[in-house]
This record gives sequence, structure tokens and C-alpha cells, in this order.
Amino acid sequence: MSTISPDTPASVPGSTRPMARGVDLVKVYGEGDATVRALDGVTVGFAPGQFSAIMGPSGSGKSTLMHCMAGLDSITSGQVYVGDVELSSLNDKELTRLRRDKIGFIFQAYNLVPTLSAAENITLPMDIAGRTPDRAWVDQLIDTVGLRPRLSHRPSELSGGQQQRVAAARALASRPDIVFADEPTGNLDSRASAEVLGFLRKSVAEFAQTVVMVTHDPVAASYAERVVFLADGRIVDEMTGPTADRVLDRMKHFGG
Amino acid sequence: MVHAVLKGIFAHKLRLFLTAFAVVLGVSFVAGTFVLTDTINHTFDVLFHTINAGVDVSVRAASGFGNDNSTGTSRDTVSASVLDTVKKVPGVAVAEGAVGGYAQLVDKSGKAITTAGAPTLGVSWTANPDLSPLRLRSGREPRKDGEVVVDAGTAKAHKLAVGDQVKILFQGPSENFTIVGVTGFGSADNLAGATLAAFDVTTAQRVLGKVGAFDSIDVKATSGVSTLTLRDRVAGVLPPGVEVVTSQQVADESAKQVQQALSFLGTALLVFAGISLFVGGFIILNTFSILVAQRTRELALLRALGASRRQVMLSVVAEAGVVGLFASIVGLGLGILVAIGLQSLLKAFGIDLPTSGTKVLPRTVIVSLIVGLVVTVLSSIASARRASKIPPMAALQGAGVEQGGSLRRRATVGVIVAVLGAAAMLRGLFAGGSGALPLLGLGAAVVFVGVALLSPLASGPMARVIGAPLPRMAGVSGVLGRQNAMRNPRRTAATAAALTVGLALVATVSVLAASIKSSAADVVDKYLAADYIVGASGFNPTISTDLAARLSKAPELAAVSALQTGEWKSQGQTRTLDGGDPATLGQVLKLDVTAGDIGGLSRGELLVDETEFKDKHYKIGEIVPMTFARTGTQDIRVAGTYAKNDLLGNYLVSTATYDANFTDRLDFVVLAKAAPGVAPATSRAAVEAVAKDFPNVDVRDQAQFKKQQEQQVNKVLGLVTALLALSIIIALFGIVNTLALSVFERTRELGLLRAVGMARRQVRSMIRGESVIIAVLGAVLGLAVGVLFGWAIVAGLSDQGITHVVVPGGQLVLYVVLAAIAGVVAAVFPARRAARLDVLAAISSQ
Repeated sequence: MSTISPDTPASVPGSTRPMARGVDLVKVYGEGDATVRALDGVTVGFAPGQFSAIMGPSGSGKSTLMHCMAGLDSITSGQVYVGDVELSSLNDKELTRLRRDKIGFIFQAYNLVPTLSAAENITLPMDIAGRTPDRAWVDQLIDTVGLRPRLSHRPSELSGGQQQRVAAARALASRPDIVFADEPTGNLDSRASAEVLGFLRKSVAEFAQTVVMVTHDPVAASYAERVVFLADGRIVDEMTGPTADRVLDRMKHFGG
Repeated sequence: MVHAVLKGIFAHKLRLFLTAFAVVLGVSFVAGTFVLTDTINHTFDVLFHTINAGVDVSVRAASGFGNDNSTGTSRDTVSASVLDTVKKVPGVAVAEGAVGGYAQLVDKSGKAITTAGAPTLGVSWTANPDLSPLRLRSGREPRKDGEVVVDAGTAKAHKLAVGDQVKILFQGPSENFTIVGVTGFGSADNLAGATLAAFDVTTAQRVLGKVGAFDSIDVKATSGVSTLTLRDRVAGVLPPGVEVVTSQQVADESAKQVQQALSFLGTALLVFAGISLFVGGFIILNTFSILVAQRTRELALLRALGASRRQVMLSVVAEAGVVGLFASIVGLGLGILVAIGLQSLLKAFGIDLPTSGTKVLPRTVIVSLIVGLVVTVLSSIASARRASKIPPMAALQGAGVEQGGSLRRRATVGVIVAVLGAAAMLRGLFAGGSGALPLLGLGAAVVFVGVALLSPLASGPMARVIGAPLPRMAGVSGVLGRQNAMRNPRRTAATAAALTVGLALVATVSVLAASIKSSAADVVDKYLAADYIVGASGFNPTISTDLAARLSKAPELAAVSALQTGEWKSQGQTRTLDGGDPATLGQVLKLDVTAGDIGGLSRGELLVDETEFKDKHYKIGEIVPMTFARTGTQDIRVAGTYAKNDLLGNYLVSTATYDANFTDRLDFVVLAKAAPGVAPATSRAAVEAVAKDFPNVDVRDQAQFKKQQEQQVNKVLGLVTALLALSIIIALFGIVNTLALSVFERTRELGLLRAVGMARRQVRSMIRGESVIIAVLGAVLGLAVGVLFGWAIVAGLSDQGITHVVVPGGQLVLYVVLAAIAGVVAAVFPARRAARLDVLAAISSQ
């Protein structure tokens, strides 16, 4: 299960090409004795319309994998594709544009621009691009996340859960190819977490959005359709149709 | 703790540099001013002592002013016969009489050779080299009438050589001379920028109007006779009204005179240096406020680990102290460069001062270091106090934002401070007295503090209005830039406040200048009847009396009247008076004699300006004891009063009375009125025909005269603006500093924006927008305050002939545009930093 050939990425249903894939990814930090191989030959693909979770203990490389897949960090060797575009061939300007147009982001914290209202934060990527947002789509998103009464509020006037739902709506607003969420529930209580995760799952189910989430929380991972387990920079396991208990069980095995 | 402070500072070298820069510039201005004035003073000191080096004692007429601040040229002359008396005194080795006065050389193209303030001297050649600093470089000394020796500086600059013919202007008719020699002053080419023409004694006495007399008799003692012995012996044989002093005293007096004349310049420059420091203080205040806010967690951690409030407070003050000391030392070093720059600046505006060597006195070092240190530490105290109030719990919470007292309290305090400042200004303006100017300055400073306290209340809404066009111009970058400018009103206001000070002062002088210009034109219409104004083109108002004499003969002119001006003393106060010809004065000036009669002037009596008459409680017929340098105290009767005339001073005597009491007889202006029925072109030609023989004068009609006055005002405006430029530059660094700190503080936010697709160009545009808003905000506030200041000052000067307030709207708009451009420039560095942030590092930073 831990050997996955680059040509036929695991768990990609049918002939659909992955929305994003990484081939033989290696990421090395530092030099000499201080060298750390954060990614050590990872090959992975994320199918369209699938909700994937990347799990692993601290230092397993899960965040690095996400950053590299999302064009936020560069890889030492290997290839990253978003759609048909190979990221290492892009300069900063093209990477910025790719992030703007093809990728949605949800971070653990500090997801919103404090000077902008919730509504302005949601349309920010389109405003940056100078595009007119798809009003109907944005309205639908706002209703789905249940934020209509709070639209004119600044982030400082919203609860943590509300802020994260705004961030989720923003990630989807520009209809990106893929949404990357980095510990989106890391700072939230269980009720707020459930709201955010529910929304992400709904976006996959109803809007066929592709979502990749990094988390260390088995409950969060259980919302995904598929979980990829990382340890020491390698993919060590994979699970489809996860439940919190099964994920927790699997995690215990690496912990030791 | 000390270790922690130093570590903290050196960990942030850039921050240190940016903070220190404001102080560096201000201190360098202070140091530069001291270095420049000390160097000039020293130069003159050396010069005067060199000139008098070979002389032991000098005999001269006693001054009616005493010897405290007597001006040498104002003394009476000594009869030539005194020389023979002095020569017979035992112990006198050599004694020679000397005369000096006005003699202006004319260059080969027929233009009068002018200086930028130094005199154009004519002197008698001293035969004995021991008594004179003059050393021939080429040719020989002047021996007879028609021969002249010129100084090497002038000869070089104007390509004059031995054998050349040269025309020379005197207080009487001009004459032609042959250059027979070129002289230096010891090894120098000229004397502090003065031009020199040396004649044989008899010729000098004739052309300088001192036939049979000397200005001074210079004496050298035989060996073995001390200077003091010689002085006392000579004193014994002198007639009344003639005194003998050591050459040391003469040199000291001359040097002191120059020092006094320059002390105004030094004070003025220090005022501008003070403004720079004041602005620098604002920036330090703001910077430390931001730094403390950003370091809330760090400082709270120190508290949690057991540091006392006092220690936290001291750690901030200590950081300010280190920054201040460092900045003062750098500023002191830069001061020497600034001195050179200031000298060039003054030169560009026509004030040329000689310097040799660079004089850095201990006073300069001490004052510069103390000033820099004190300004920095004082400016940090508010932030230090706030730092000390950070609770240890803050270490566990997120980084805070700047906090201060409630805005309501701030508003109350701000209003009170501003009103107090305004009251001080108004008192300074309208109460008069010797403390008026300092009071005005202090009041203005207090007003600025008040405005700075109040401005956070207005900065939010103002930033919204000023930034209104940005969203349309720059899209989302514009929106965000505008929001950023509004998000922390205190910070935006404090940053803008530094610029407010500089621009308020620029606006003040602009309003003042525009008002003076406009009023000056009025003054000409209201008080001048003459068609032509003939004035000296150089710095020194020196017109030969021959000019007026010859113009009087022109049939095309109905009236010609020359004015003289001089100083006199009463009860220890120096005042000025004007001399004029009672017969013609009323035809060239609109002189309104309101009491008594103008005929009194011809009887040697005095006319007094109405207002002055009332202020000093004079009565018609009262005898005023007027003290003159040349003639001592004279009793002069008040003949009457005249209505205010801005072209005249407060006291008017006849030219005859003037001549009787002043030595040098030169006019400062000659006014001429065309005869009735003569075409302007004809009358002008008549004036020009005479004036062409006096290359140092310019002929102007009323329109040209108005224009010239305008140009003079513009010149002063230009100089003042240039001197204020430094404080504006400091304020711009304040914007750079604030933006850089804000960028640092918003690292994560910038990372987020970049992650969701904001391009570097857009990030830069966003920072630029914020910068422009801050700059324009500061400018607009400053211009508003400045217009009010200008208006108040003009109102205070209404009795000085500045009658109406003119606000130069176009100029003010231009300043706003320049401020916006400056904002763009100030944003370059912080914007680049923001755009270059590593996205991933920025998102993951704490």
C-alpha cells in the first residue's frame, strides 16, 4: 500500500486526471549536518471533486506537502502539477496568478484582512484579479455558510468559527480548481469545527469542489473521503471512507 | 537589563538607523550652524588681528556712542595736524595717518564691481609695511593722483592688471585711475570678500572726502616702549574729542562688531535647526510608540519573569538614550558637512561669508550631544510609561495595538493646549516687546502639539476623504491602502504631524510673503509720488551724492530728492533716522505733515512719525537729545509730525542736519519726478543719461520698483523654504519609518494577501496609497494651520504696512501635489520590503 506508481496514482477513480498531483517530491531544508528531508519522495494525486485529508504527526511533512502542492514553497526535486501546469516552470508572477485564479486557501488562523468587511474578504481574490465576482455564486456561498447577517462586519467583530467560514467562502468564491486548507479547525472549538468541516464537505458534494485539507485531528479527517498518511516525509498509508476511530487507530501505530 | 537593551537594539539595526535618522539630521543642523558661525567669527577674528598686527596704538576720534559697539566709519575724522603732535611723542618709532571710505571699482565692461555684503573699500596706502597688512604682489605703491593699487582678489576675478585704466565710484564724482600695483593682505588675496582700492594719502583724502584729516593715526613704538606706556604718553598730548587705543582693542572691537552682526544669522539658523529637532521629536515619539506596541509580548514576558515596572520603563528610556547618543555623534560629524552646505545655501541667496579652516568648539560638541540625547529621551518617555503599564498577562495574549488615553480626554487636552499656544502667539504678536518673537515661536510649538493631540480625531475621516480617489485609481490595492491609512488613526496622525509642522511653516511664510508683496505694491501707490527710483544695485546702499546733484540739473525733471539713513541713540537705544531735502521731499513722497510745519527741517529740526510721536509722548517744540557717533549728543527740537509713510522711518531730518552729524555722506536712494508735460520716454532718458555714469545704480519706474520689491520678498521666501526643507525631509523619513514598522507588523496579513494572489506590484501600490494619504493628510493639516498662522501674523504686522492678507491658493495646491509625490517617494523602500516578503514565511510568522 505504501508503493504507489506515478502513472496510476492511488484512489483516482476511473480515467479522470487529478486536479493536482505531485511526482517524487523531495524537499530538503538546511545544509550539512542540519539537513532535514521534509519530503522524501512523495508521489500523490488529488482527484477532481474529492475531499482529501493529509494526516501525520508533527514533523511528518504534511504542511510542507501542502505548501509545495499549492505553489507557496518550492521543491528540491520532483514535479508538482496543478491541472496541466508544472509549477517549477513558473516565475513568481505566474505562481501568484496561479494561486489567485486556480487555488483557494484556508489557513489555521489569521485568514482575513482585518480592514475589510466579511463581504469584501470573500471577494478579495477576484478584486485582486480585477474581475467581477459571480454574484449568484457568491450569494449561494454566503447562504451556505450562513453569514448573510454578518456581511458588513469586520473580522474583529466575528467569532473564530464565523471568521473561518468567511475564509472558506472566500476560498471557493473564485471557483478555484482546488482548495487547500491548512489545519482549518486548529483554533476552533468542536461546534465551530463541525460547521466549517460540514461546509467543506458540502462544497465537495454539492459543487464538486476539490478540497485538500491538512489536519492532525482524526475527527476532522473523518469528514474527508480519503486520508493520506505521512510520516518522516513519506506516504505511509492511505484510507478511503475514514471514520474518526479508524483514523485514530491508524495514527496510534505511527505514534509509537 | 542593560545587556538586554543593547541586544535588543543591535538585533534591529535597520530600526535603529531609521529611528536615529530623524535625530541625526536635526543634530547635524544644530552642529552645522555652530560650526559655520564659529568658523566665520574665527576667520574675522584672525583677519582683524592680522590687519592690526604691526600697529601698537591707534589715534582716532572718540565716538559719541562710546566704544561698545561703535562703527568705525561713523566716527569723526582727526585733524591732520594731530599726526605731527603724535610723531613728537617720545617712544614713537613710526606714525602714519590713514583714511578709508567708499570706493567702488568698475570693471572693464562698465559694470560696478559689487560684493555680497563685504564693503567696497577705498584706503590710503600706508608707506611703512610694519603698519599695514598690505603686501604688493606686483607693480608698485601709488605715489600720486591718478594711481591706484587694487587687491589681488578683485584683480583676478575681473582680470585687472598693472597698467590698466579703471573707473572708480566715490561719494563725490567718479574718476579714472591707472592701476600701478596689485596687493594681497599678507598671503590672502582679499579681506573677507571686500574689494580694495588704495591711493596715496593726499588722493585718498580728496576722493574719500576727508581733506586735511585722518580716520586714524597708526603708531608703532620704539623697542623697549610698551604698548600701554605708549598709549598713555600719546593720550597726554591729544586734543579733546580724540582718543588713543591699543591695536588689540581695535581688532577686538571690529571682531565683536562682526560677531554681533552675524549673531542674528546664527540665531535664525538655530531656529530652523530647532524646528528640525522638534519634527524629529515627533518621529521619535511615534516610532517608540509603535515599537512598544509591537513588543508588548516581549515586554510582558520580561514583567512575567520578574522585571519591575521601573525596569521596563528604564529599558525603553535606555534604548532611546543609546539611539539618541548614537544619533548625536553621527549628527555632530555630519554637522561639518552641513556647515559647508549652509554656507553654499546662503551664498546662493546672496549672503557670502568668508571662512578659513573649520572651527569645532567644545561648546558645539557638548550642545549637540546634549540636545540630541535630551530630545530623543524626552520623546520616548510617554511610550516608556505605557510600556511600564503592560500587564504580565499580555505575554500570553496576542500582540496589542497602541493604546492611549480616551479620545474624549485627548480632545479636551488637545483643545486646551492648542488654545494656550494660540494665546501665547497672539500675545507675542500684539503685545510687542523684546520677548515677542520667542513667545510667538513657543506659542506656535505649543499649537503644533495641540494639533498633534487633536489630529487622531480627524485623521480617520480625513484619510477617507483624501483616499477617496484611490479605489478607482488602483482597485483593491487602493481600497486596502486607504483602509490601512484609516485603521490606526493615532499612528497615521502622529506620522502626518511631523509633516504638518514643516508645511505649516512653509504655508505661513507663503501667506506672509504674498501679503507683503501685495501690500508693498500698495505702499508704493500710497506713499510714493516720484516717477523714478534710483537705487544701488549691490548689497551696500552707496550712491554718490554727485548723482542727485547732476539729476537736479536735468530740465526734464521737476524734482529730485535723495534720502540718507543713519543711526542715533537715545537713552541707550539705537534708532534710525532719514535725511532728506525739505525743498523737494514733498514732491517725491506723499508726505503728509499733520502737525507743525515741514519748514522746521530747514532750521535743523526734527519731524516725527505720528504713531511714534504718541508712543514716545513727544510734544511739538520739545528738545530731544539725540546722540550721534560722530558728534555726540545734539539737542534737536521736534518741529512737527507726519502721517505714517512706509517709505520713511520714524524720524526725519534735513540732509543738512544729516551731513552735520554723520561722516560718510552717501545716499541710499534718489527719487525723481518728471516735469509736467514731459513724455515718460524723455524723462526716463534724462535719468538714464546721468545714471550711466554711476554703474552701481539701477533706475526703476514705479512698476519696476514694485517688481523689485517682489523679487526681494521671493528671495527671502526661497531661503526660508530651503531652510525648512530639512524638517520636511525629516518628516518624510518619519513616513518611511512608520510604513516600514507597519509592514513588519502586518507581515502575516501581507503573506495572506500574497497567498491569495496579490501580485508584488499590487502590494507596492497598496503601501504607496497609504503613504500618499499620510503625506497629503500632513500637508493639508499643515497648510490649514499655516494659513491661520500667516493670517494672524499679517494681522499683527498691520501697523508695519502689511495691510491685507493674501492666501496664495495656487502655491498651496502645488504644495499638496508635492506632498503627494513625496509620499510616493517615501513609500519606495517600505513597499519594496513588503513586496519582497517570502509568502510562506510571512504566513507562518507569529
